[in-house]
Amino acid sequence: MEIFVAQIINAIALGSIYALLVTGFNLLVVVGGIFPFAYSHIVVLSMYMCWFAMKVTGNNLLAGILAGIVSGTIFSFLTEPIFRPLAKRQAQLGSFIVAMALALILTEVMAQKLNMGIVISIPQNLQGREALIKFGAATITAGQIATIVGSIVSFLGFFYLLYRTKQGRAFRAMGQSPFSARILGIPIVRTRIYSYLIAGLMGGISAIFLAMAIGTASSSLGDNLALKVMAVAMFAGVGNLGGGLVAALILGLAEGMVLAYLPGDWSQAIAFGMIMIIVMIKPRGLFGTMV
Amino acid sequence: MSYGPIQALRGVTIEVNEGEIVVLIGANGAGKTTLVETILGLTRAAVGCIRYMGEDITHKKTEHIVASGICLVPEGRGILPLMTVMENLLLGAYHFKGDVDENLKLTYSLFPVLKERSGQMAGTLSGGEQQMLSVARGLMSRPRLMMLDEPSLGLAPSIVKELFKKISDLNREGYTILLSEQNARQALQCAHRGYVFGTGEIVLSGDAQELIRSSRVQQAYLGGSCE
Repeated sequence: MEIFVAQIINAIALGSIYALLVTGFNLLVVVGGIFPFAYSHIVVLSMYMCWFAMKVTGNNLLAGILAGIVSGTIFSFLTEPIFRPLAKRQAQLGSFIVAMALALILTEVMAQKLNMGIVISIPQNLQGREALIKFGAATITAGQIATIVGSIVSFLGFFYLLYRTKQGRAFRAMGQSPFSARILGIPIVRTRIYSYLIAGLMGGISAIFLAMAIGTASSSLGDNLALKVMAVAMFAGVGNLGGGLVAALILGLAEGMVLAYLPGDWSQAIAFGMIMIIVMIKPRGLFGTMV
Repeated sequence: MSYGPIQALRGVTIEVNEGEIVVLIGANGAGKTTLVETILGLTRAAVGCIRYMGEDITHKKTEHIVASGICLVPEGRGILPLMTVMENLLLGAYHFKGDVDENLKLTYSLFPVLKERSGQMAGTLSGGEQQMLSVARGLMSRPRLMMLDEPSLGLAPSIVKELFKKISDLNREGYTILLSEQNARQALQCAHRGYVFGTGEIVLSGDAQELIRSSRVQQAYLGGSCE
């Protein structure tokens, strides 16, 4: 029983990270008007920046966290001009291809140039492996608690922004009808840039939590995450912000449970198999495409 | 002005003075929508010029044009169906600098039905209510020029009557209105002046009452003589 609870907590932590990633991804789909395949690669690059900052500051925790979050925001912002002409023409397929090209370039840069292509390992003090809560044979680590609490705070902030502020209304208006948004005088380009900044911020935050959860990062992690994020988004209904959150938690739970209780590593096959079946039954995703 | 590869408007000159209701009448495809969209900067004019309060706004961005006090209530209403009535209204005030709450109260007093529906998703409103919402949303920016594109489209006759009465009321309160309509008789009845569009050009213009009496307008848009 204790082990089960610990596994659930672990799975929720994992699901929270996916949820952050999917939310950032969906924001770029809805407001940015693109299919941001390279989003996860930017997140992994931010993990490298976090690692690098800690390395040069003698494992300073704050420096690492700030470096990850700030670099996620900046990298995301820097990709905006690349997609601007495509977003203007609402060429989502085109943006997908450009994003894949960007993802490949980032992957190779990480594989060739960063840490000479060797897998980086995140310093112990950021990973937070020490047990914060102990019951019987099971433990819940500081990293897991930080991830869950941090994600909840991020989501509260994000959904407050989206549903209670002028900027959030502008975001949703752009997602529902770019034409109406223009007529209302919403500055399209500036609003899109804001969506890249917010998505980048969420990406940076998830980079830190990923660093805690995985403890390592390598150039191939970007592709791996990108597939998962894309699949979760489709599972929920692309662009469905609330649905994405729920679907990410489901994926996290499925993966965590499979990993914990089935022999061998079937987590991906089962998680993706589940997604495949849902998309076959409900082509628009579990919750439908909605803004 | 050209719209894509097809020239939609040729040598059109119109003028709207402060405090007026000016109506553009003409059949589908005559270029009325192109004209109002060009004024708002949604479509770019290949040649020609748009002047607003002494300033050339031909090449300004839509957001700046809206901020300077022109609003468009688009054909098909353009409401945001998955946002509440109130959120739609607040979006109308995106560039409004004053007290938004006060403005909202004023708008609700003009459109009491919207106050009742305040928290409801805009997509659940009836067609007439959606049109009222679209007009009310335009008002939220306190525009100096309000352009309405085919507001009566798809509405029941009784609602159309109410809508035109609302438009007259707004004008009496000082709003300047440019109205594009196929519903020529009712539009002309509430307007000061009018322009009649052929295909991409103005074929007739003048005082609204004179246009109603004009035989050409009667034959083309008012279903023959009304005697």
